[in-house]
Amino acid sequence: MPTARVLRDIKARHGVNANEILRRAYLYVARNQTLPPQVRFQAQLQLNTFGRYTRPTTVKNRCTATGKGRGIISEFGLSRYQFRLKALANELPGVHKASW
Amino acid sequence: MAAIAPARLAALTRMRCEIFQTAYNPTSVRTGAKYLRARLRGPSMIQYYPDELSVARFNRMGGDFKIQDWDEYQRLSDVEEKKRRGKGAPKKAKSPAESRRQSRKR
Repeated sequence: MPTARVLRDIKARHGVNANEILRRAYLYVARNQTLPPQVRFQAQLQLNTFGRYTRPTTVKNRCTATGKGRGIISEFGLSRYQFRLKALANELPGVHKASW
Repeated sequence: MAAIAPARLAALTRMRCEIFQTAYNPTSVRTGAKYLRARLRGPSMIQYYPDELSVARFNRMGGDFKIQDWDEYQRLSDVEEKKRRGKGAPKKAKSPAESRRQSRKR
């Protein structure tokens, strides 16, 4: 069972995916200096009406095994301890303990 | 070698933009094109967590065959037991005043 934080993150991911194209369109208008300021301001106001879980910055990569938020090794999507456990159990192809 | 006139350099840039079909923007005005040019990040974002199948999710799929969810059964019976002994969750406050009274009691 995923933790509440992971569920929240999943919610944010789906919200971002659903609203991305519309947000991009508003961003284009709001940041376009060749358009009249009034139009740009209106677009910025529209951007501000989007909810919290539609912004890509609310999405955080958490550990896919435990849901931990810190110490994530992004190539594997695992926290550092889970990475160690799985690597030692030979569950990560191409990863083995250094020894020289 | 003599310096090349700025007007001729500008003409060269304009021609280059025409040939390679890029936007001619000599004053570097922000056109917002980067928001249209960037790839969409949503499709890869929703694939980050692997799909997990739980008992509750399986039962919600709508097949004829259902699995007994023992963990959920245990949780519900625990809640019932707590309620019976008067240790359940407190009633939801109906008004701000009630909410204040409840927090003070604690």
